[in-house]
Order: sequence, then C-alpha cells, then structure tokens
Amino acid sequence: MKKNILTLFSLILIVFSGCSDDVLDRPQLNNEPDTPAFWTQESNLRYYANEYYTSFFPGYNSSWGTDYAPLLGYNFSDNCVNTNVQTNFESSIPSSRSSSAWLQQYAGPSWYFGWIRKSNVFLDRIESYSKSSISTEAYGHWSGIARFFKALEYSRLVATFGDVPYYAKTFSETDYDQMFKDRTPRAEVMDSVYANFKYALDKVRANDGNQYVNKYVVAGFISRWMLFEGTWQKYHSNDQARAKKYLEFARDAAEVVMNSGKYSVSSDFRSLFGSSDLSSNKECILFRNYNKDQGVTHCIASYCNGYESQTSAANLALVKAFICVDGKNWKNSSVAKADSFNLSNLIKTRDPRFEATFWYAPKVQSASLLYSCKFIDREGPTHAADANIPARYASMTNTNAYPVMRLSEVLLNWIEAKAELATLNGVAVTQADIDKSINVIRNRPLDSEAISRGVTKTAPMQLASLPDDPDRDSDVPVLIWEIRRERQMEFVFEHSRLLDIKRWGKLQYMNCTTHPDNLKGIWVNIPQEVPAYLVKAKIGKLQVAKADGTIVTYNGTNASSMVGYYIPEGAKDRISFDDKNYLSPVAKDQIDLYTKRGYNLTQTPLWN
Amino acid sequence: MSTIQLSRGTFSKKFLTALAVAFLFSTVGSTKAIAGVWAVNVTHDVSESQQQAIILKGTVTDSNGEPVIGASITEKGSPKNGTVTDIDGHFSLKLKPNATLIVSYIGFQKQEVAVNGKTSITVVLKENAELLEEVVVVGYGTQKKENLTGAVSSVDIDKSLKNRPIADVGRGLQGTIPGLSVTVGNGEIGSDPTMKIRGQLASINGTSSPLILLDNVEIPSIQMVNPDDIESISVLKDAAASSIYGAKAAFGVVLITTKKGAKNESVNIQYSTNFSWQNVAKDIKMGGIDALDYTVNAFERVGSSIAGAFWYVTRESYEKSVLWQQKYGGTVKANDPMVYGRDWYVDSSDRKIGVRTYDPYNYMVREWTPSQTQNLSISGKSGKTAYNIGLGYLDQTGMMKPAKHDDFKRYNASLRLSTDINKYLTVKAGMIYSKREKRYAYVTNSTTADPWLYLYRWGPLYPLTTEDGDPIRSPVSEAQQANTASQKYNYTNVNIGATIHLTKDWTVDADFTHASQEFTWNRPGTIYTAKNAWGGAAAKLDANGNRIYVDDSGQVVDASATGAMPAYQLSNVTYTSTGSNPDHIYRNSENMEQETANVYTTYNFKLDENNVFKAMGGINRVTQKTVNNWSQITQLLDISNPQFDLATGTQTAGGQVYWESQLGYYGRLNYALMDKYLFEANLRYDGSSKFPTNLSWRWFPSFSAGWRASEEKFMEWAKPTLSSLKMRGSWGTIGDQTVPNSMYVSTMGVSNTSWLDGSTKFVSVGTPSVVVPSITWQDIETLDLGVDLRMFNNELGVSFDWYQRTTKNMIVAGAAVANTFGTSAPNGNFGELRTRGWELAVDYNHRFSNGIGVNATATLADATTIITKYAPLAVKTVSNTYYEGKRYGDIWGYKTDRLYQYSDFELGSDGKPQLITLTADESAKYAGKKAYKLKTVDGKKPVYQPYLQNSSNFYFGPGDVKFVDLNGDGEINNGSNTTDDHGDLSVIGNSTPRYEYGLRLGADWKGFDCSIFFQGVGKRQIWGSGFLAIPGYNSSDGAMPQTFAGDFWKDDRTDAFYPRAYNQGGSDNTNNMQVQSRYLLDMSYMRIKNMTLGYSLPQDLLKKAAISKARVYIALENFFTFDHLRDLPIDPEAVSGYSMFNSSNYNSGRTGVGTPMFKSVSFGLQLNF
Repeated sequence: MKKNILTLFSLILIVFSGCSDDVLDRPQLNNEPDTPAFWTQESNLRYYANEYYTSFFPGYNSSWGTDYAPLLGYNFSDNCVNTNVQTNFESSIPSSRSSSAWLQQYAGPSWYFGWIRKSNVFLDRIESYSKSSISTEAYGHWSGIARFFKALEYSRLVATFGDVPYYAKTFSETDYDQMFKDRTPRAEVMDSVYANFKYALDKVRANDGNQYVNKYVVAGFISRWMLFEGTWQKYHSNDQARAKKYLEFARDAAEVVMNSGKYSVSSDFRSLFGSSDLSSNKECILFRNYNKDQGVTHCIASYCNGYESQTSAANLALVKAFICVDGKNWKNSSVAKADSFNLSNLIKTRDPRFEATFWYAPKVQSASLLYSCKFIDREGPTHAADANIPARYASMTNTNAYPVMRLSEVLLNWIEAKAELATLNGVAVTQADIDKSINVIRNRPLDSEAISRGVTKTAPMQLASLPDDPDRDSDVPVLIWEIRRERQMEFVFEHSRLLDIKRWGKLQYMNCTTHPDNLKGIWVNIPQEVPAYLVKAKIGKLQVAKADGTIVTYNGTNASSMVGYYIPEGAKDRISFDDKNYLSPVAKDQIDLYTKRGYNLTQTPLWN
Repeated sequence: MSTIQLSRGTFSKKFLTALAVAFLFSTVGSTKAIAGVWAVNVTHDVSESQQQAIILKGTVTDSNGEPVIGASITEKGSPKNGTVTDIDGHFSLKLKPNATLIVSYIGFQKQEVAVNGKTSITVVLKENAELLEEVVVVGYGTQKKENLTGAVSSVDIDKSLKNRPIADVGRGLQGTIPGLSVTVGNGEIGSDPTMKIRGQLASINGTSSPLILLDNVEIPSIQMVNPDDIESISVLKDAAASSIYGAKAAFGVVLITTKKGAKNESVNIQYSTNFSWQNVAKDIKMGGIDALDYTVNAFERVGSSIAGAFWYVTRESYEKSVLWQQKYGGTVKANDPMVYGRDWYVDSSDRKIGVRTYDPYNYMVREWTPSQTQNLSISGKSGKTAYNIGLGYLDQTGMMKPAKHDDFKRYNASLRLSTDINKYLTVKAGMIYSKREKRYAYVTNSTTADPWLYLYRWGPLYPLTTEDGDPIRSPVSEAQQANTASQKYNYTNVNIGATIHLTKDWTVDADFTHASQEFTWNRPGTIYTAKNAWGGAAAKLDANGNRIYVDDSGQVVDASATGAMPAYQLSNVTYTSTGSNPDHIYRNSENMEQETANVYTTYNFKLDENNVFKAMGGINRVTQKTVNNWSQITQLLDISNPQFDLATGTQTAGGQVYWESQLGYYGRLNYALMDKYLFEANLRYDGSSKFPTNLSWRWFPSFSAGWRASEEKFMEWAKPTLSSLKMRGSWGTIGDQTVPNSMYVSTMGVSNTSWLDGSTKFVSVGTPSVVVPSITWQDIETLDLGVDLRMFNNELGVSFDWYQRTTKNMIVAGAAVANTFGTSAPNGNFGELRTRGWELAVDYNHRFSNGIGVNATATLADATTIITKYAPLAVKTVSNTYYEGKRYGDIWGYKTDRLYQYSDFELGSDGKPQLITLTADESAKYAGKKAYKLKTVDGKKPVYQPYLQNSSNFYFGPGDVKFVDLNGDGEINNGSNTTDDHGDLSVIGNSTPRYEYGLRLGADWKGFDCSIFFQGVGKRQIWGSGFLAIPGYNSSDGAMPQTFAGDFWKDDRTDAFYPRAYNQGGSDNTNNMQVQSRYLLDMSYMRIKNMTLGYSLPQDLLKKAAISKARVYIALENFFTFDHLRDLPIDPEAVSGYSMFNSSNYNSGRTGVGTPMFKSVSFGLQLNF
C-alpha cells in the first residue's frame, strides 16, 4: 500500500513538472502581434492604411464630433459672428498640447506625432518585410500611400506650427537625439513633403477600389497643400523659388484630375452636401459615407435643420462677398437692388450658391438671423416645426454624405495657382483657363427649388471685363481678388477660409474693429420679419445698424425704427491679436522636457 | 436518559429536519439542482455498552448551564476508554469507581474530575477565550496561534457573519480586520465590495487586490460564497505569511475555508433564516422651491431673465411656484397628472415654464424592499466518513421603484466528504455550486448616465408624472417601459484530493480543483414612447379641433372668460427610432475555466522537546482561460417579446479570449526552539505566463521569527496578569504578475472603422505598440514588526503591527517621452512605491460571576503610500494622480479665506461694486483683466483673483470666495501647477481612507445576547464632482441638494456657508469652485453597521421538540450614520465613478449619484438539531 502511494505521488510530481514549459506559454490572443509574417500580405497593408481615413478625411466627422467638420468645426473665421465677444485668439503659451484632437484656431492638428510614427512604421515594414513578397506595383502603391499620408500630416503640422521636427524614420524611446531634435526649417520639411507627394502621385493606383485613396485623391490633396505652401512661401517667406516650385506642383496635380476625364461639375450645389449617396456624383473625387444601420452617423445636418440654433453664423462681410448674378460685386453690379441686403432680395440677386447655402427668411435660431442650410437636403428644414423631426435630420443620427475632395476645389486651386504663377514671371492666365475652371463652376446646374425662388446662374467670368471691386485690397491684383472671392462663396463653413486668409497674410480680416461688417448680420425689418423679438426681454438688447452706421437699440416703443443691419446680441470685437497668431506656440511642458534632457526646442516665432 | 426517550428524540429530530428541508425547498422554488445531494441517513448511535465495574452517568454543561454536545470523556490512564456527550450533554461510561475523568471540549479548559464512587455527576466546563481560536489556518496548513510569526489575522465568524443580513462575506469583513480595507461604493445589489489589504495602492498597473481563496482555490467573486458555509477566514497580510501562495498573493490573501464535517461521531443540523426590509441609508434631501430660488439668483447675477433645461424658470414663475406650493402643496399628490395652466404654461417665446415642483424620490425609490436568506446545513461524521452539506438561498430586492424587476438572487449548494480508506489514506471530495442572478431595468446601455443619476439630474420642475393618462418622458417612465436585463453567473467547483499519512509525522496532500463559471448577460431592449418633455409644446385642441382654454387652476373655461389662456399639451412621441439604442437584443456569454492543482508534503520532526521542526514543500499549478462572445441584432419586431429570431436589423458580434497560467514550487521550514524562539523560512520559485520566456521564472524568499517573551524565566513575575507576550518580525519578497499579458509583445489593435464603402465598415489595424521587451516581475517586499499580548487570564488581547511594503521594479511608463515620439512611453520596471502603516487589534472577554458575559473587539489601522520612483524628468504636475514623491491620494487646492462681503469692496454711488480694469499696480501678472474694485484696508494692497475668473461673466464680488495668498506674491494663482512652482496651491487633503476602525461590543445573559458594531473611517477627503458636490454645478438644469439651495449667500443671508449663486455650467473646479479647503468634502464617518438583540430559548423548553438550540434575533444594519457632509445626499462611503457596471466613469464620475446605499431591519431565526 505504502509503495503504491509513493509511486502515485511520484507520478503526480513528474506530470506536474513535465508540462511546465507548455503551461506558461500563453501569449495574448486578442491583438495582432507585429511579426514579419503580418506584413507579407497585401490585404494586411490595406487594413493598416485604413486607420488613416477617418482622421484625414473626417467629412462631417461622426457622432457628436466636430473636429475638422463643416459648420460646427470650421466656424473660427472672418465670415462668422456669434453673440457677445467673438472667440479670442490664443494669447498665452499653453502648459500642455499633446492630445490627438485638433486645434480649432489653426484648423490643424495638435503637437501630436502619432500619425507620423504610423507612417514611418509603415514605410519601415514595407521596406523590411513586404517588398520581397508583393509585386513591384503593389510595393509602389503602398509605399505611395504611406508617403501620401505622411506628407498630408506634415502639411497640417507645418500649417499649424511652421517649423516642425522632421522624421524620416522611426526611432526608439532611448534615441534621445532623435526624440529631442529641434524643429526642422519649414522649407526643408515641405521639400520632403513635396518629394513624398511626387512619389505618391507617381505610384498610387488610379483605381484601388471604392472609397480607397487613388491617384486622383492624391492629386486633389496635393493641389490643396501645394497651393497652401506656395502662397505661404510667396506672402510670408518671400521665397520666390519655392513658391514657384510648389505652385507648379499644385497646378500639375490639379491637371491630373482635370485631364482624367472622370470628373465633372454636373449636380446642383446642395446635392453635394445633402445627398445620402454621392457615388454617382461626378464632382466627387472622394466622399465620406454614413449609414444608420452601421451606427456611423453625424450631427452636422441637425444643426442645419432650422430647429437647432446656430450660435456662430454668417456675417455681413460674407454676405457682401457674394457676387450678383451679373458676375459683379454689389458695388459694381448693375443688377437691380444690388445694394439691398434684405434676405428676400439677396436670394434672387446673388450667385446661386447664396440661396443654396442659406435659408430664405431670417431665423431667430441664427445668431445673425442668417441661417445656413447648406449641409442638409432640401427636405430637412421643412421639418423644423414638427414635434418629431426625422432622425436623419436630428440629433447625431444624420446620414448625408460629405464630398471630402471635389472637382470644384481642384479647379479653384488650379486657377489660383496659375494666377499666382503669373505674378512670378509665369504664363498669364487666359480666358480659356477661366472657362475651364471658374466658369465651369458658375455653370453648375440649379435645382428646381432654387429656380422656383427666382435664382439664376451667374454670368461667366470675362477676363477682359473683370469688375474692379472698390473694396479690393490694393496689394491684390484684380484677378486674384476675384478668384479668392470665388473660393469664399464655394467653401462657406468648410475647411478653407481660415487657412486661406492665413496663407494670404490676411489674418487682419479677423479684426472686427477694422472690419465692422464682421459683427453685423443681414438687413432686417424686425417688425415685419422677426416680430418675436419685440418683447420685453429684448429691451436694451435688440439692436440694428442703419446704413450710415447709427445704431438703434430697442426700447420697447421704437419698434418701427428697428429696420437695419441686424446686430447679433452683444456682439463685440475680440481682443486684439497680432502676427504671432498665424502659427501655434508649442506647449511649455515640451520645451521644459527638452531642457531637462539637455536639448533645446525652439518656441514658435513671436511667442516668447 | 432512557432508550425510549432517545429514539423519540431521534424520530422527532428526523421529522423536524425533513420539515426544515421541505420549507427550504419550497422557498427556493427550485429543487432540481440540489435535491440530489439530500440523501444522508440521520441516525445517531449512542447506545454503546461496556462491561466494566460501574456505570457513571453524567452531564457536561458550560457556565450558563447549557449542555455541551460532543465533549470528550476519557478515563485517565486508559485513554481508550472514553465517550462523547450527546445532544443533551449526557454521557455514560463504565469505569472503576476510583477512576478520574478527563473532560475536554474545544474552546473549553480541560478538566479532571475524580469519580469517587459516584454514579452520577455534573461537570461544568470553563470557557477558554484564547483556546477558542488557538489554531489558525495558514497557507497549506494550520498553525497554533501562539506560534504564528507572520502577520495573520483571523476572523471570528460567529460574531462577524452570523446575525447579519448581509449578502456577502466582504461586507461582513468590513472593520473586523485591521489592515483589510473594505469599501462599499454604492448600494447596487449583487455587486462586490472593493477589498484592499494594507493601503489602497500597491501597483499602478497591477490589480492591488488581495487573492481570495476558497479552500486553496482562487474564486472570481466573493459574492458567490455563502457566508453560512464558512468555517474560518484568515487574512495573510505580510510577505512571510502569503508568499507561500506565490504569484497571485502579492497583495495579501483572504483565505476562506469551508465546513468539512464533524470531528466526532454526530449529526448536526442547522437551519437559519432571516427576513429583512431595506431602505435608503441616508435621506435624499433635494432642493425644491429653494433650488428654483438658487437658479433665479444665478441667472439674474449675469443679467439673464430665464434659465432651464426643457423646463424654464423665471423670476415670475418662481413667485408662482411659491404660491402653487401654498395652494396645492398639500392636495396635489405626487402621481396626480400634470395640468396645463396650473402646473405649467408656455411663454411668448414658446418655452415651457414650470410651476409645480416634483421630488424624484417619490417616483424612483421603493421604500422598505424585502429580502430574505435561508440556510440549511447538515454536518456530521459516521464511522470514518465526515460530511457537510450546505444549502443556501438569498433573495434581495433593489430599490428602483419603476423597474419591473430589480433584484438579486443567489443559490448555493455545497458538499464535502472525506473518508479514511485505511490508516494511510484519506480521500476527500467536494463540490461547490453557486448561482447568482441579477435583474434590472434595461433602460439604456449607458453606464455614464443610468436612471439613478436622474434622481439628481434635472431640477424640481421636471415632470415625473403623467399628462392626460400618458407617461411623460423621464427616467421614471423609461424604466417603467424597459424590459428586464439579467446577469447570471453559474459557478461550479469540483474538487478531489487525498491525504496520505506516510508516517505519524509525514503527510502528503494532493488536491485538484476544476472550477468553471458561466456568465451570461442578456439585454433585451425595447422601444420607448412617452410625452415629449424635452421638445416644444403643442396646442391642445378638443375633439372638434377647437383650441381649449383653461384658467390658472387648470380648469377648462370659455375663451372669453377672465384669465382664460389657450392650453398646450406635450405630444406623445416614440423616442426610439428604428434600430437605434435600445431597439435591439443583446447577449454576452462568457465561460471561465480554471484548474488548480496542489501537491504538498508536510513533515513534523521533533529532535527533542526543545527542538521542533516542521517542513513543507510542494507544487502549485494554476491555469485559467476565459472566452467570451457577444452578439446583437437591432430592430425588434415585438417589444414585449425581444428575441434574436424576432429582430430584423443589423447583426453585430464580437468576442475575446484571455488565458494565463502560473506554476510554482515552494517550501517552508518552521523551527521552534524551546517553544520560545520561533523561526520560519519560505522559498518559492515562480513562473508566470505574463512575461517573456527567459524572464518568467524567479525566486522569492521570505523569513519570519518570533519570541515568546512571556515564556522566559525572567518574565515569571508578570504572571498571571500577563498571560502571553510575543514579539514577531518578518521580511520577504513576493513577485507580482497581475498585469496584462501583452506588455512585452508589440501588438496592433484590430477594429472596424467608421469609414464605409456603402454599408460596410473598413477593417483597420492600428500602429504597433512600443514595448520594453525585458519587462518582468514586480517585487513586493514587506517588512513587518509585531507584538501580541494577552493579559488577565487571556481575557484581554492586544496585537500591534508596523509594516513597510515596497513595490520594487514597479511596472510604469518609463522616462517621459516628447510628443515627437508619437506614442506614450512604454511600460517597464521603472517605478517604485512604498506603503507604511500600522494596525492595532484589541479584544476583551469576560464573564461575571452572575453569568453576564461581555466581549469587545476593536480594530484600527492606517496606511500611507508614497510613489518613490516614477517617470524620471516628467513634469510633476500637481493635479496628476502620480508623480515621483507624491503621497497617493493627495489633493492640491487653494486655501479658502472666507466669503467676500460688501464691506470688502469700493461701492459706487448705486451701492454696487465697481468693475474696473486692473492696472499693473493692482495686479502685475493680470493687468488688463477686469475685477470689482476692492478696498484697501490698513494700507495693505488688496489681492485680486482675476486668474480664477474662468468664465467671461464671472467676477469675484460680494458672496464669492476669497482665497488665501499663500505665497504672498499679491496674486492668487497656481504658478505653473507643478510641485516646484505651485503658486498658492497646497495639499489640502487626501482621498485615501485613513484610520479605518471597527468596534464591536457584545453582552449576553441568560439566553439574551446583544451586540453593536461600529465601523468608520477617521479621515478621508475628496473634491466632489457634479450636482451633489458642487454648488451651482448646473443651476440651469436646476437640480441641487437642499443643503446648497437653503444656504447660499444672498444679500439677506450673508452668513451663508455656500457662495453666491452662479451657474458653473457643468464645471467642478472653476470660479468660486476652485479646488479648495472650504468645500472639500469630509468623507470621514462612523456608522453603526449592526445592532443585534437575540434570545436563545431555554433548553428545557426546546428539549421537548428535540431542538438543541433555538435563537431568535432582530438586527438593524447600517441604521445610524454620523458624518460631516452637512446633510448632502452623499453617502460617506460613496466612491465617485465606481459601480459594478463601470469601474472608472460610472455616472460620469459624479459624486454620490449612484444606486443609493441602504439600511435594513431584519428578523432572524437559528435552529440547531
């Protein structure tokens, strides 16, 4: 018996110790390990690249998110006004600035290098592991994709911070010389961006399947960022050679799209923003889809539904920028009542994009009474008074798609690049160029509702008889002035305005004291159009400005005098700002950390 | 006792047992699962006969005259001649007339009685307080308490767990063991309390949680244990005591052993029941009319004339609310419908203005909800087989009034068998089954804003009743319409084992346990319809489509009548749009399997009387695997029957696998020299699956020693006052590996993005993580010094420990990386933290000669933790949870001086403070900012606070908070918010519980017993968050405690505690509410956790019913609380943001807004047969 027991005991011991190595071999199973094998499959490279999309092409963003989203995200510009004091520029150096969220005042990323790291890892893995197992064509495509996104992110970082440390490769957490590297000069960074864009344009596939980045998407974004950098170099750095280099690339990239024959301006303006499906819209080079069943929805349409408030709304400065249907600005126009800023008149006399962008009557839901319905379909706002607004127009359950990159932008980038190049000893812009670009957009179809409201197409731009706006800045040539105006009308509440005035060196447009139209709304007849405001609570608050600038304040008895440019309640200018606000400072914690490690991080110029 | 009586006794006992079992089963309602184990023959053979000289008949009783059952009687000199007492304490024994009896029973002092020819005898045994708990369960064995050298505490099960209507052992342990911190963060039934041993934090990336072992096997939740099945609980606190359990025991061990059956030939049947009724432990006093007053004051302060969330209040409507209260407050009942004209109206801007006030408590809280427990256990020994059967049932009802079901049920069944096959081999087997089911209203799957939050979410104007017979949208109606979600756990644990007695002193134990737990989470959704309380009001029309007119009492009147106003109503709306949350059915299913094997051998070796050794060595192997998957389909066809096959929308699914294993070889050597000098050494070689192969194995030693000073000759003088004195010390290290197993491998997350091709989501793979490939064990090193003292014939005991626990090589993020690195710093063994603390336990037992017995136990403990090494060179931002040198839990804030009064300001001709733009002379740093002009007093330049004006319409004025310029630089600011430059900030409190204590006082006399148990925390502060903690948190929404609403600064209440009304707009730490000393919440408390009054029925009465013991009692649980929270509806035990549903951001981290804590009154009955 005793012997049996001892045998049994020994047996147990042997069994236990024998399997020890197996027992402890239990790696985690829920994430993909970064092994060479992973990178040999082309489908895996695709998955890896997919993570970029929603961050670089946010469209209407999703859920309640508003970063990089039209209307709610891009409302810090000289075209928007809100009640009380206008949003101030940043005035002090932040203690920390590291989140992956965006910086609204710069319409760009924070001091965050996660995407750069992702791209550098991508390039490293493709080079080390994928190259030998995928086709040369695929190698070129995926290297091009990695370079494209890296260049995009550097473009955003440079637009926000100016000089930024440039990383060609990944580095380890102990490589302090790399990690604590000071800023690389902007020109150097952008030359690398240029090279990466060149590579991408050359190698990325013309068609890589629905909703994937292709050559034309790449070309579209190149035209956007190279135009940005070319004009920045011209107006800020005075580096003519680089300005030319970038502008030429912007022009050439745009031509890749224009000459492809795949895209045309063929739908009405509102359909670009209110449609649930843009796959058949020939103007779209890339768009973002939404789908209720997949839970991918956004909230931007709901803020255009006529029920929700627009606390930041279009101002008079923007309204005045719209040309009349004869193709001339309001001061030069011969259209009847061109100088009337009453909404019912504006709808009929202005470029069709005005009617497509705004509601036809003053709305108290807007801080300026001018309410934008741009990012919703025609039906949406008709439900404003319903007890139960349909889900696709309410809350964050909206599903209309957004044109992330569209032909009209490429055309406007192209013509601006050409016009700027002309000033740099380049070829002069011809009427044919105008006809290929601006006049294509002006000939955009009208929808039936627009027609029913008396909207007509704007006359084509004639180079020979360009109107000379008396309000034009003297340092801007007539043609460029009109091209810029065209952008302003096309991209209301979209990505471009703040970055445009920054690259043109026109940030002073944000000064509402020198630009008083910034703080006004449309011309209203309060007793007729907004009688709801003639209440006790509005006494001392409701104000309009007469044509001569006199301000009338409602006192309870002067209702009949309340006719004039509406002044958003309590609207005041922002605290003065200066040239340092073109670029964001880096946070103090980063500068301190560099110092502690014995390195130096230079603060953004003018921020000391 | 005659044979006839005996058999009658046996018969009635059987009968009663059957009755009890039947009762239990009928209560449980489900006999299938447990009926199978009920097959034990209840016989009791006491008719032994011995053919010897005389027959001595006797009775053994305790000092109360109660019979002692199972006492051992032997004849001195011939130990084989013996017997045990029966259930009446009787025995009979044949022996020589001049023999001497030895009478002994565990817990009593051994007695020798000379027979002297008597044939009948009564022996009264004296209880021995020390002996009662003399053996303590330690790792893989037991140890005599007097020989313990490590820091081990054991729990008096009878006193801590019996009598208490508590659902789980964890709650019962609160306050009973010094150094074991038990936190019950909210009143959610079926949730685990948070248990920590020695300090709140031992590892930043590890769990810091103790290992909970049930018969040497880790269990997933302390909820599953039936408190009635427990025989003993030991808490192993230092490395020397717990290191034997190895890799998972780094933060201490709670060692629970279950009842194993009787030691002597007997059958014991115990039945206990308890019925209790629960109610909120602390009154929820929310502001009504006064809260409206606050809101009005807040908006008038900034020049507005109206505020509200969906339901607005104006100065005018506030006056109406006051009148409403006078006129209808007594007659309109909570559930009376809302009436237009009387209760609300629509203003000229189409806004809904509320007049009537509602108290959410009336609608949300069900008072005095019933709960019950039923327990039956049968234990005994028959021949060589000992057995224990335990059956338990718990049914708790929660307090959410509108929910269809809000309850928690637990069913327990356990079986233990052991039999001696021969003199070498004992075979053991056991099974534990525990089923838990929690049901609750599936309102929404958001745990950041559950229905309980809404008790405190919107102001008193928000209607919670009905309109025209339809429910109004509110958390109440939503919970009413919700289907019932359930969480079910089925835990089964099958255990086999054997003990081999190789020699008298050498045994081998082997056991193997397979445990599995099935968890399912069903979430049947619904579609919710109610009157739209959020949107605009619609015109109210009669059947003919004509507008209805009402007067201000809500009566329908003619349009031309005086005071007639056109009526409005809310529109009935289906809120859940097709396929959106919660129009779906969801189910999550998880399976956990765990195998534990222990093989160990123990050898006792006695060189001579003075040199006693005990050696133990063994292997421990644990493997665990958890697999889960979930699925969901949207769009229910029939909301009254949510089924997967009856849902038509989008299908989604997912799942995960977790697995881990540990293997350890261990040894322990005990050496007792002359019974005075005690030594123990432990060594363990541990392997863990959490680390890379070459780093997964490590050695961990620990040592302890004790000196029983009282046994020294030179201490003789102190006797008998000093019964025993022992000093102990220990040192040891244990490895901790309670970290995720992905830390050493670079991985990429796979997910679905929200980028769509039509309706298909793109799959994405993230960037590979950066890892330190050499990541390895965290070393927990403990030093413990203790002293145990017993005095006055063991009646008084004192035990004290001082300890230091250092977590070396703590896994934390490495040196701070620059943002340019593109990701956060990888984790490695870079950190270190240290906890120091002390523990004191005192117990006292005394029985007076008149029979009154008194007893008391007290515990007190404290611990502080300092992070000694952390991310080098990182900026030490004071608001960070961790930085090098931080005392864990420290709260940095401003020091409050007082509230400003008018007299502090230069008043203008209008009698109001004057807003000025500060000059550089007035504020060097903040010149250009605006402030109200302060008076210069005694020529001292006033200190302005512009830095703390965080809102554009907020300026510090009369009634606002005045802070102290701590650094005297003439400005109030936080410097650069770092430890090096913290401006006027200082450490104003600490959020960890300090000085945790428990005190139990008990007495008994002639069958009556009573006890009272106090538990508390001496010091703990938090900076609260949300409506309940921050005055004006969101005064537009309007909900606030009456404490704020009735005591904020106004022109006519300048001595108020809270500042002038201001709408913080959802901010916890801006403007007046900067983190500061004045409004820091003092969370210290003392709670009378339990008060019990019991009565044991007299023996002679019971005997006729063959009951050996019967006790009835009444107990009050959590009934009285003493705190310093100024009547705020915040429970002092509340932990912000913690619940079983969301451990970090429950209800958005707002303080005190979870499921209310409850108190209960209960009645219980305990029967022994």
